[in-house]
Amino acid sequence: MTAAAAKPVVRSTAHSIVEATPRARTVAGGLVILYAVITILPLLWIVATAFKSQSDAIAYPPKVLFQPTLEGYVNLFTVRTRQTPDFIAKLPPPQTWYDRLVRQRDMVIAGPSKVVPRFVNSLIIGFGSTFLAVFLGTLAAYAFSRFRIPLADDLLFFILSTRMMPPVAVAIPIYLMYRELNLTDTRLGMILLYTAVNVSLAVWLLKGFIDEIPREYEEAALVDGYTRLQALRKVVLPQAVTGIAATAIFCLIFSWNEYAFAVLLTSGEAQTMPPFIPFIIGEGGQDWPAVAAATTLFVVPIVLFTVVLRKHLLRGITFGAVRK
Amino acid sequence: MIPRVSEPAKSRAAWRVRGLSDRTIAWLFIAPTITLLLAINIFPLVWMIRLSFTNLNLSMSYLPLRFVGLDNFIDILTDEEVWIRLQTTAQFVICSVALQVVIGFGLALLINRQFRGHSFWTTIILLPMMLSPAVVGNFWTLLLQPQIGPFNSLISLFTGVPPSSFSMTGQVALAPWTIVLVDTWMWAPYVMLICLAGLRSIPDYIYEAAEVDRASPWRQFWSITLPMAVPFLMLAVLFRAIENFKMFDMVNLLTSGGPGSTTELVSITLKRAAFEKWRTGYSSALAIILFVTVFGAANIYVKALNKVKQR
Amino acid sequence: MSDSAAAKAGLSRWFRRGPWENGAMILIGGGIFMLVQPWSIDLYSYSFITILVGTIGFMIVSHFPE
Repeated sequence: MTAAAAKPVVRSTAHSIVEATPRARTVAGGLVILYAVITILPLLWIVATAFKSQSDAIAYPPKVLFQPTLEGYVNLFTVRTRQTPDFIAKLPPPQTWYDRLVRQRDMVIAGPSKVVPRFVNSLIIGFGSTFLAVFLGTLAAYAFSRFRIPLADDLLFFILSTRMMPPVAVAIPIYLMYRELNLTDTRLGMILLYTAVNVSLAVWLLKGFIDEIPREYEEAALVDGYTRLQALRKVVLPQAVTGIAATAIFCLIFSWNEYAFAVLLTSGEAQTMPPFIPFIIGEGGQDWPAVAAATTLFVVPIVLFTVVLRKHLLRGITFGAVRK
Repeated sequence: MIPRVSEPAKSRAAWRVRGLSDRTIAWLFIAPTITLLLAINIFPLVWMIRLSFTNLNLSMSYLPLRFVGLDNFIDILTDEEVWIRLQTTAQFVICSVALQVVIGFGLALLINRQFRGHSFWTTIILLPMMLSPAVVGNFWTLLLQPQIGPFNSLISLFTGVPPSSFSMTGQVALAPWTIVLVDTWMWAPYVMLICLAGLRSIPDYIYEAAEVDRASPWRQFWSITLPMAVPFLMLAVLFRAIENFKMFDMVNLLTSGGPGSTTELVSITLKRAAFEKWRTGYSSALAIILFVTVFGAANIYVKALNKVKQR
Repeated sequence: MSDSAAAKAGLSRWFRRGPWENGAMILIGGGIFMLVQPWSIDLYSYSFITILVGTIGFMIVSHFPE
């Protein structure tokens, strides 16, 4: 009771950074919200552009209010050919809503576009490399965390330094090597490359997470007659599950977003979304509604992941050094 | 329940029977990672070092492969063109990192006041840094189009300059600032997040002591907040500097080095030498110069990392 | 104190990590500055060797005792 009565008094005298006054808080909040709104506007503009018609997307001055349409998404997923109105009039009536939408523009759908295979590539390469990197990373991180390894610091630095290298510089010898091994423009090649880049992050992050699990649990299990491997599987892994999940999401985001290796080492078969999106071409230049639609679909998972990762973001961007 | 093994003599033997020794496990666990990195990183690197002493040109592979010693390195290190690209890169690094520190640290100070809903707005602010730099570079070209893009119209709304009278990506005077702007939009949240951790690591009692001494908030900022946040700030600055030094994806799509070569960062030069002119020997040498530079900086970064870890 | 002990103390004082590491870091930083500064092409020409020496030096001296 007395403590509750005393608290407001303390707060009213405080004018330092520890306890901001209500007015300072409001001002701070206002400025942050202003920045957040400005920072999110470009993204909102792209999401909006995805729902514009071709002419609205390239209107001058730019249109804030417009009639929403799904044309951008239809164009993204299809290849269309332009036809004369006479030809279209002779066709049987459109079967689906997207057929109708396309015919309004004097075009007919000629087939699916390449976006689905590219999206599938992104998924396969992303999940494949993430799985491998997290698997290898967990083993190595456990070893670094629990055993005395000669030159451990040097090995850890070596592992991290491979991630910091300029991708274009790395791509030169990889290109030559993959050419010899017939791995150029293959999913396997990209999975191996992304695994190598991701494994360094995985080792560093997971070492941090495993360091935090008290050794006593495992030691108790060892005394109870578990082998090391059993102790790892039944005691450590269940405790590290959140850390492993967070690490996996970081690896997935990296593979999902990566551009330099993808553009230099793939051209078709194994091409992922980032090098593909800028080359979604319509009649005369980039088909902006379709590009925006692709960008939106590409970015939505990242936004969801960011929300999920919120608590572990700091760890992820500092290789596990800053833990909050 | 598995019976406890208590006698020391028995336990050693039991270890062998029960499974592999710790030493073996340690190496078994680390070996796959190291092998992968040796195969994908170190072996190609060694190969590249060898190539950097040759005249290999993939577009003229009929030429006999000749060992040219240090010629490639001497070529690069006396070439004014490459020197200017490195200066452009440095200007980009300095401007963008400085801007990101100012905005990021400022935002961190504001968010640290814990106003209502700060968690939600922080997440919004963090979004840009999670996106693909290539996709960001690509969609900013739309936003910055002189006529159809909203950016110029917005500027003209505030200043009255006609929107089609300037081009952020097409003008020599503006293009360098454009890549700084987009990079800052993307990465200021990164600096903010790390600074926020720095601010939260300062224990309250220090401020309370300062309060007792009647130090002004201004004084508290300069003598407590800033010095205590410096290790974190260093971490952010070093990492952003390294990342921007090797920047390729975002700028390649936003301006692809143009107009002319005003925004041609050294990574773009390297890509052109290696994958357009196919001068593999020469570009290997340039790649090694960049490697060693980044590797040296990475040493300093890891030192900063360990310093923060000890806190 | 015996002579050999004094010599040992002297040696270990010489091979302490801190100052050497700082020296190597200055060499790396200076080399990077030389690489990107816009004033002298001679400095630019010798930048790479400076960074290389600094980096290799750093890797060696970081194994000295504290």
